[in-house]
Amino acid sequence: MLFASINVSNELFSHLWATVLPEYIRNTLVLGILVAVLSLCFGVPAAAIVSQTNIVMAKQLRWLLMLPLAMPAYLVAYLYTDLFDYAGPVQRLLRTWFDWQSPNDYYFFDIRTIGGAAIVIALVLFPYVYMLTRTAFEQQDRNLLRASRLLGCTERQSFYQVALPLARPAIAVSLILVVMETLADFATVQYFAVNTLTTAIYDTWLGYSDFAAANALASVLMLFILFVVVAEQRARAGQRHQSSRPNTQQQRKQLSVAQQIFASIFCWLLVFAGFLLPVILLLVMVFDYADYQQFLALIETGKNSIEIATYSATIAVLIALILALFQRLHQSRTKMIPLQITGFGYAIPGTVLAMAMLATFGPLDHMINDLAKAFDFQAPGLILSGTVFAIVFAFVVRFSAIANGTINAGIGQIPKSLDLAPASLGVSTLPAIFRVHIPLLKSSILVAWLLVFVEAMKELPAVLLLRPFNFETLSTQIYQLISDERLEQGALGAILIVLFGLLPIIFLNRQKGSQ
Amino acid sequence: MKPLIKIENLAVELQSKVILSQIELSLATGEILGLVGPSGCGKTTLLNTLAGFIEQNAGTIEISSNDKLIKISCEQMLPAEQRNIGMIFQDYALFPHLTVSENICFGLKKIAKVEQEKRCQELLSLLELSEFARRYPHQLSGGQQQRVAIARALAPQPSLLLLDEPFSNIDARLRHELMLEIRQLLKRLGMTAIFVTHNKDEVFTFADKIAVMHQGQVWQVGTPAEVCQQPNSWQVADFLQLGSWLPVAISSVENNPSVVSLIGTLTAKNIINASTCKSEDFIVHYQALVKPNDIELAAQDANNVIVEHISVTEQGYHYLLSSIEQQSPLAFSHVSFYSQELFALGCELAIHLKAEQFLLYPVSATSSSNTDAQ
Repeated sequence: MLFASINVSNELFSHLWATVLPEYIRNTLVLGILVAVLSLCFGVPAAAIVSQTNIVMAKQLRWLLMLPLAMPAYLVAYLYTDLFDYAGPVQRLLRTWFDWQSPNDYYFFDIRTIGGAAIVIALVLFPYVYMLTRTAFEQQDRNLLRASRLLGCTERQSFYQVALPLARPAIAVSLILVVMETLADFATVQYFAVNTLTTAIYDTWLGYSDFAAANALASVLMLFILFVVVAEQRARAGQRHQSSRPNTQQQRKQLSVAQQIFASIFCWLLVFAGFLLPVILLLVMVFDYADYQQFLALIETGKNSIEIATYSATIAVLIALILALFQRLHQSRTKMIPLQITGFGYAIPGTVLAMAMLATFGPLDHMINDLAKAFDFQAPGLILSGTVFAIVFAFVVRFSAIANGTINAGIGQIPKSLDLAPASLGVSTLPAIFRVHIPLLKSSILVAWLLVFVEAMKELPAVLLLRPFNFETLSTQIYQLISDERLEQGALGAILIVLFGLLPIIFLNRQKGSQ
Repeated sequence: MKPLIKIENLAVELQSKVILSQIELSLATGEILGLVGPSGCGKTTLLNTLAGFIEQNAGTIEISSNDKLIKISCEQMLPAEQRNIGMIFQDYALFPHLTVSENICFGLKKIAKVEQEKRCQELLSLLELSEFARRYPHQLSGGQQQRVAIARALAPQPSLLLLDEPFSNIDARLRHELMLEIRQLLKRLGMTAIFVTHNKDEVFTFADKIAVMHQGQVWQVGTPAEVCQQPNSWQVADFLQLGSWLPVAISSVENNPSVVSLIGTLTAKNIINASTCKSEDFIVHYQALVKPNDIELAAQDANNVIVEHISVTEQGYHYLLSSIEQQSPLAFSHVSFYSQELFALGCELAIHLKAEQFLLYPVSATSSSNTDAQ
C-alpha cells in the first residue's frame, strides 16, 4: 500500500491538499478528540461510582454499563436519527404539545452533525473506558488509600491525589482504544455525512475509482494511527503498578440521598441511551415490520456472518494460542516480536486493511492464474481476493490483538512452576501443553474466541470492500438497509448482531461472579 | 506520667462477628508497644481501628496530641486524616506514581513549600535516603522502600506511629540490624509506637512493652521480662513458646500440697503462682511450664523418658522427650531438653526436675491439645 501511494503523482496530492484533505483531516481530528473527551466524561465517573460508592444496584450496573459495547455505532446512529429527526416522533410530539408550526419556531439539536456522530460513537465506546478504569480502581492497593488518609487527605482528596493518578495509565490505554475504534469507524460518519479520512478513502476509491488517491489518504490515516499506537505503548509502559491486594472489600463511600439520585440518574442514563433505548427501538421495528420473507433472508445472511466469524475466531485463537505458548516456553526477547507485530493489526482500520489485502492478493491472484495457464490448467479465478478467504484473512489480522491479549492474560495467571513440573514428572513439552496449559486456559480461549467472533460479526468496512459479489453478511445487509433508510426490514438481523454481542459480556460477567 | 494513648473497653464487630472485645491498653510518650498473638487474634484489626479504618462498636480511644486531647468514641468518630496517627504498612504502600521526595511530602501539604523542602531534606538524610530522592519506589530495594515508608510516616510529625508487621518483608539477615536501627531512631525522636507482629523475637528486640492477644482480647500486658517470667495464662506462655508442658497432679497431704509428675515432685515453695492453684480441687489437672534448663539427667534413677527427636542447635543437641509410661494420666510427650552429649534416637534416659521455681496452669479442654508445643 505504501508502495502504491508513492506512485501518487505530486499533482494529485497537491490537488487533494488544495481541496478536501484539510477538511478531512480536521474532521478526523475533531471527531477523535470529541469522542475521547465524551468517553472520558461517561466512562471515568461511571467507573468511580460503581467501584467506590454504595450506589443502589451497583451489582447490576457493573455489567449493565458494559452492554453498549454490543451495539454497533451505525445502528445507534440510524435509530437516533430516526427518533430525533424533524420527522421523528420526538419532534412531532413536541410540535403537537407546544403547537409549533415550522422548524423556525423552536430550536432542536441536529443529530446529523459531527457532534451528533461523536455522541453516538462515544455512547457505544465509553464501556472500554469504563471497564478498564473500573478494573484499575478495583485493583488498587487499599493500603495506598489508607496511607493517604493517614497523611491528612480527606476521602475526596485521596481520590483525586491517589486513586485517579494511579488509574491514569488504564484511562489512557482505554482512550486510545476508543480513538482507534473511532478512526476505524466508517458507517456512522458516512451516515451522518461527516467526511473523515476513512469515508474519504472509501469514496475516492469506489466513487472515483482513484486507487492511488485512496492509497494516499490511507497513508495519511495510517500516520494518525501510528501516532496513536506510539502513545498507547508509552501509556502501557507506565502501567506497571498494580497491586496484588485488590481493594474490593474496601469501605465504599456512603452517598447522600441527593448524590445517590444524581449518580443513579447518570449511570442509568448511560445504560439507557447506549443500550436499552436502541434495543427497544429495534424491538418495536421487529414487531411492526418483521415477516416471514425477512426471516428467510436473515437465515441466509446470518449463516454467512456466523461462518466468517467462526473461521476468523478459530484461526485467530489458534494463532494466538500457538504464539503465546511459544513465547512462554521459549522465553527470549527476540521471540516476543511475532506477538508484538500481530498486536499492531488491531490499530489498522478495516478500510485500510481491505485496501492492503486487495493490493497484495490482487496481483497474487493474477500470478496464480498466469501460472495455472502456463501449466495448461484451468484458471482458478480470483481465489484469494475474490473469496471469503480475503475477509477471513483481514479479520484475523485485525482481531489477532484481542485474541492475543486475552490468551496472554490467561497464560500470565499460570504459575511459572507449572511449566517445569511436568518435566520433573517425566512428561515432555507437547503432552504437557495439552494436559496442563490448555485445560487451564480453557476459559481464556473461550473468551478470546467469543470476543473475536463478536467483533467479526459487527465489522463492516472490511467486509464491504472485500466481499465477493452477492455475498451479504448481517452487517453489510444492515448497512445497505440503513443507507436506503429502511432498516425496518433488517431489524431482525440487527437484533441478532446485538444478541451475539451480549454473549461475551454475559460470559465474562458470569466468570467474574464465580471466581 | 500521663499516657499518650489510652484505650478503654474497646470492642469491634465486623459482619456481626466479634473481632475485638474489652481491649484496655495505655502507652506513655516514647514507649514502643509490640502487639503479638497468633494469626486471626485481631491484632491488625486493633491497629486499623486505632488508625480509623475500622469503626469501633464500643469503648473509647484517647490520644493526647500536641497538648490537646483527642477523644474517639462511637458517638464521636474521627476520620483517619484527623487523628494525627502515622502508619507503616506491611507492603509499605508507597505511592508508585510519586518519587521518594514526593512520597515524603505527601502529608505536608498544609505547610509552606520551603518548610516542606526542609523537612523532606532532614528526613532524607536521617534515613540515609538523600541519593534516592528523585527515584520512584519500584527502583528501590525492599529495605530502602521501608525507610521511605518510615520517612513518609514521620514527616507530618504524628503523635503515634503504627507499624503493621514492619519487618516481615525484610530478609532474615538484615532484619535484626534494621530493627535495632529503627528502634534507635524512634527512641531518638521520642516517638510513641505500636507495632504488630507474629514473631516473638521481633517483640523482644523492638518493644518496651508487649501485649499478647488471643481471640480478640488482650491477655497480658507488661515488659517483655515480666511477661516471660510470669505469663498469666497458659495461652500466653504457649504463644511465646516459653517452655514445654508437663502434666502434674496436686495432692494434699496434711494441708501441705505437693505436686507430682512423672519426672519429679515439687513442693508448695516451688510454685510461683501457688495462689492460683486450689489444692482442695482434686479433679482439676494442672500442667507445669518446664523450660529446657529446668531439666537435668539423673543417671542413678530408673529410665523414665525416650528420645523422640534430635536436632542440632548452637546450644548443643536439642531433644524432644516423651515419657516411657504412656498410659499414666501424667504421661507427656515432646518435652524440650538440651545437652552437649549425643544420644541415639529411641534411646531411654533418666531425667528429673532441677529448678526451684515452676509455674502451674490449670488444664482446660483446649490446652491439653496444645501440650506438645515445646
